[in-house]
Amino acid sequence: MPGRTRKRSPLKIPDRPYIALGLEGSANKLGVGIIRHDTDGSTVVMSNVRHTYITPPGEGFLPRDTAQHHRDWALSVINDALSKAQISLHDIDCICFTQGPGMGAPLSSVALVARTLSLLYDKPLVGVNHCVGHIEMGRQITGAQNPVVLYVSGGNTQVIAYSQQRYRIFGETLDIAVGNCLDRFARVINLSNDPSPGYNIEQEAKKGKRLVPLPYTTKGMDVSLSGILTSAEAYVQDKRYRRNGASATDGDDIITPQDLCFSLQETVFAMLVEITERAMAHIGSKEVLIVGGVGCNERLQEMMGIMAEERGGRVFATDERFCIDNGIMIAQAGLLSFRMGYRTPLTKSSCTQRFRTDEVHVAWRA
Amino acid sequence: MTAHTSSSSSLGLISSATAISQGAEAKVYYASLHPAPSPASTTETVDVLIKHRFHKGYRHPSLDNSLTKSRVAGEARALIRCLRCGVHVPGIRMVDAAEGVLALEWIDGKSVRFLLGGGAEGEEEEAADSEDSDVAEAAAQEDDTDPLSEYGATQDELMAMVGAEIAKMHRGDVVHGDLTTSNMMLRHPRSEKGLQLVLIDFGLAYTSTLVEDKAVDLYVLERAFASTHPASEPLFASVLRAYQAGMGREWTAISKRLDDVRLRGRKRSMVG
Repeated sequence: MPGRTRKRSPLKIPDRPYIALGLEGSANKLGVGIIRHDTDGSTVVMSNVRHTYITPPGEGFLPRDTAQHHRDWALSVINDALSKAQISLHDIDCICFTQGPGMGAPLSSVALVARTLSLLYDKPLVGVNHCVGHIEMGRQITGAQNPVVLYVSGGNTQVIAYSQQRYRIFGETLDIAVGNCLDRFARVINLSNDPSPGYNIEQEAKKGKRLVPLPYTTKGMDVSLSGILTSAEAYVQDKRYRRNGASATDGDDIITPQDLCFSLQETVFAMLVEITERAMAHIGSKEVLIVGGVGCNERLQEMMGIMAEERGGRVFATDERFCIDNGIMIAQAGLLSFRMGYRTPLTKSSCTQRFRTDEVHVAWRA
Repeated sequence: MTAHTSSSSSLGLISSATAISQGAEAKVYYASLHPAPSPASTTETVDVLIKHRFHKGYRHPSLDNSLTKSRVAGEARALIRCLRCGVHVPGIRMVDAAEGVLALEWIDGKSVRFLLGGGAEGEEEEAADSEDSDVAEAAAQEDDTDPLSEYGATQDELMAMVGAEIAKMHRGDVVHGDLTTSNMMLRHPRSEKGLQLVLIDFGLAYTSTLVEDKAVDLYVLERAFASTHPASEPLFASVLRAYQAGMGREWTAISKRLDDVRLRGRKRSMVG
């Protein structure tokens, strides 16, 4: 094994406090956060406000309606964040916004707000990769130094590790994201989208007992999830399926929605923990960080904790304030690159739906 | 090869073995077995590597049992198929699928990953104002001697051996499923069989005749190279050259499919 090399962080300790405004709207959450980096090297979350677009049960969020939601709420959420932080827009150093990946329409409506503020107040713009935002906020909150990152959300499922100024993707989903898989299954069994379909699946799964067989598809460090969703959906058509739970006349051989939620979670999370473990073994790391919306699922955190313990390592996770999409993570990642001198000129501030984690040059890490 | 049915004996063997490491899904031990009694019996013991797929606490027990059983059996089957096709893989010494124990031939050598000196292993960051970092950097540079020189092979030769071995395996219709540089070992020239590239860890292997599966297998390796050995393009190119030579006519189809597979990852930029 090569000797442990310690490298100097390229990020200088700030000579004055820096404040950043972060705007996030890549999916159905509109988030605004304000963060401050102090001269003693500490980081203060000044405010973190979020407004979620919630659709009726059985429906997903459509790009056009989500963009409309963001446009309707942008100003009041920004004002709310500013008053909670007790500062004005003149006090901030830069405006950070999500440049991708995500849904096109909501992304561009939030980017438009960012550009307008930037011109009105003459503040520089910093475009941020959504995934890098999650990772940097997770590292900041938990204090994990160089963890293997499992990024699980409605649009992304990736196992990431840092190497030579890039967050490199070791494994990812080959088809749909894990959050997408859970959300769509919640729609099939008509669960509420409030506060989030994933949260409701988690609660239902706690009541499930029976593990029905579902495909287990890990391929190296990648996973495939669409087939599992199809099989889980097929159980809803099974003659043993009871939509309203067990009735008195039923025997033992029935399947309830709770059982399906339980089986889906157990199978899918076991796959995710397995690919994470594979990545840990491959690069020899003992720390895991879980970020992204699905990351606040306590069963996933528990399973990851057991795995890490078996390897003599530990798991880092955050709660819903920082796991679920938020503005503060965009501010954090944006401010880090701002302090390294990175700016996004107005002409280059367009959004992209496809923006891979490993495209970003991570200048602020050694 | 002996097939053990009594679980206590294979677990007993582990309790007397020396733990080496914990891999992706199993704990790995070193042990020595007494050879089977035969007329020409010697007192020499046989070194083996024991792979124990222990119970994973995070997985539902019934899911865990069925996965463990099928993986141990699958790994043994794939190894036997490889041996039959003349691929260099470790020989099988013992299988106990119920307990998740597999004992394999001990290989005297180092992993390709180590020999290429790769990866994010053991890197740490520090705040900007540290004093001892220069000292550490100097120390790191000192042990920079190429570990490959001890094996009398160049990086290029090593890559050619990798490509040739994978080609042999694919011609036998075995798909490894987890090709990384950690899953290949270079047998030391001092050992009985001489310098050899050995493929290990067939935990995710399966048999398939499909071009698709072989192309994906190569793609997995390409990604593993890119993520652990950042300046790896020329290395992987020489792996592919040797692979092409080994595959003969089958190469055209696989090459085409590999190009398709590369385009498949999610959220790639669609420029160009």
